[in-house]
Amino acid sequence: MSADELNLRLGTLMRLAQAGDRIAYAELLRLSLPFIARVVRAQRPYGLVIDDVVQDVLLSLHSVRHTYDPGRPFMPWLAAITRNRVVDAQRRHARIARNEEFVPEYPETFSGDETNTDMTIQGDTGLLHRAIADLPAGQRQAVEMLKLRELSLKEAAAESGMSIAALKVAVHRGVKGLRQRLMGYDEEQSGTPK
Amino acid sequence: MNDTSANQLIERLAADTTLVKPLRSPLLRTISWLLLSAPWVVAVVAIMGLRSDLGERVTDFRWMVEQIATFATALAAAMAAFCAGVPGRPRWERFVPLLPLAIWLGSLGDGCLQSWHSLGSAGLTLHTDWLCLPAIMMASFAPAIAMTVMILRGSAIAPMTTTALGALAAGGLAEFGLRLFHPEDASVMVLIWQVGTVFAMVTIAGLLGRTVLRWRPALLASGTAA
Repeated sequence: MSADELNLRLGTLMRLAQAGDRIAYAELLRLSLPFIARVVRAQRPYGLVIDDVVQDVLLSLHSVRHTYDPGRPFMPWLAAITRNRVVDAQRRHARIARNEEFVPEYPETFSGDETNTDMTIQGDTGLLHRAIADLPAGQRQAVEMLKLRELSLKEAAAESGMSIAALKVAVHRGVKGLRQRLMGYDEEQSGTPK
Repeated sequence: MNDTSANQLIERLAADTTLVKPLRSPLLRTISWLLLSAPWVVAVVAIMGLRSDLGERVTDFRWMVEQIATFATALAAAMAAFCAGVPGRPRWERFVPLLPLAIWLGSLGDGCLQSWHSLGSAGLTLHTDWLCLPAIMMASFAPAIAMTVMILRGSAIAPMTTTALGALAAGGLAEFGLRLFHPEDASVMVLIWQVGTVFAMVTIAGLLGRTVLRWRPALLASGTAA
């Protein structure tokens, strides 16, 4: 298909699309896709993913399809949208890149003692298992099923025979109990009450 | 490119499409804008009262040239703003208002020179004329609202140019009305206070262009803002 024929074909399809013809619109977008991708690549959008820009152009085209004048050629309309969206994407990318800072190696944690205390406790699986074992039976069962095995409430209710409401209450109390126990162990270890 | 994701998007967009009403031509939109705006300007002029020397003014060639050029600038700017919102239209259309604008400013500039030649520096004396600013703002209120609503129907292909041209249209029409009730004809005063106000509006509107006119994400029927 020559450029003129394509232009005429796309213009006709767009007229039909404006009238609500979905099949014509899908064909229009499919036929436009290689042209859009070619224009995007030709603009050499530095640091941008071509696919993302192409999809952005398709969405933009969709949102302004009423601005196409059936009496005018289609390709300049499409080309103007495509070029404009590429420039916008580059501008957006440049703005984001300007505010980003590249860190060669991310710090593993924060240096403050306050931030590290809780993490140490939470990372200590031995203490956690001891705290779970110390919970009352119902709460322990609820925590094990919902938090450790990650069962849904429905599955846990079927397995345990408890109602969903009772499970919710038990797991809430269980987590609260765990938090208190872990804080208590921390005090035992450090020897200084919080 | 990743054909699968693009094709999936095409399917979604095609499924979402409905009947859309194409934008009318810029000429018809300019006429619509004028029909919406003119009654407001006429009302402002009527409320403020026609200037007492209007009969004399309409026989003044320079005054008439300035009024015609002001009106032509407003219309050309409105049409250029509507053209600028349509992708793929030629860029020269955006510069058409420069012609009547040059005649308008040229006539005022010539008036300043004439005053300078006949009265010396006294001919270019400036005094404060605070009526111009609120009067132009008031007269341009409805034209500006109508223009904003209408350019929002277009695309954000040239947002700053579009809003600046829209402000020039609204301000130009207001200035045309202002000179029917405000008896200030010293070219330097008109240039600084009246044209200055219009250009302040143009500058502010241009700077707000990217905020006012944005590419709106397509809202698909599935309820997702794609």
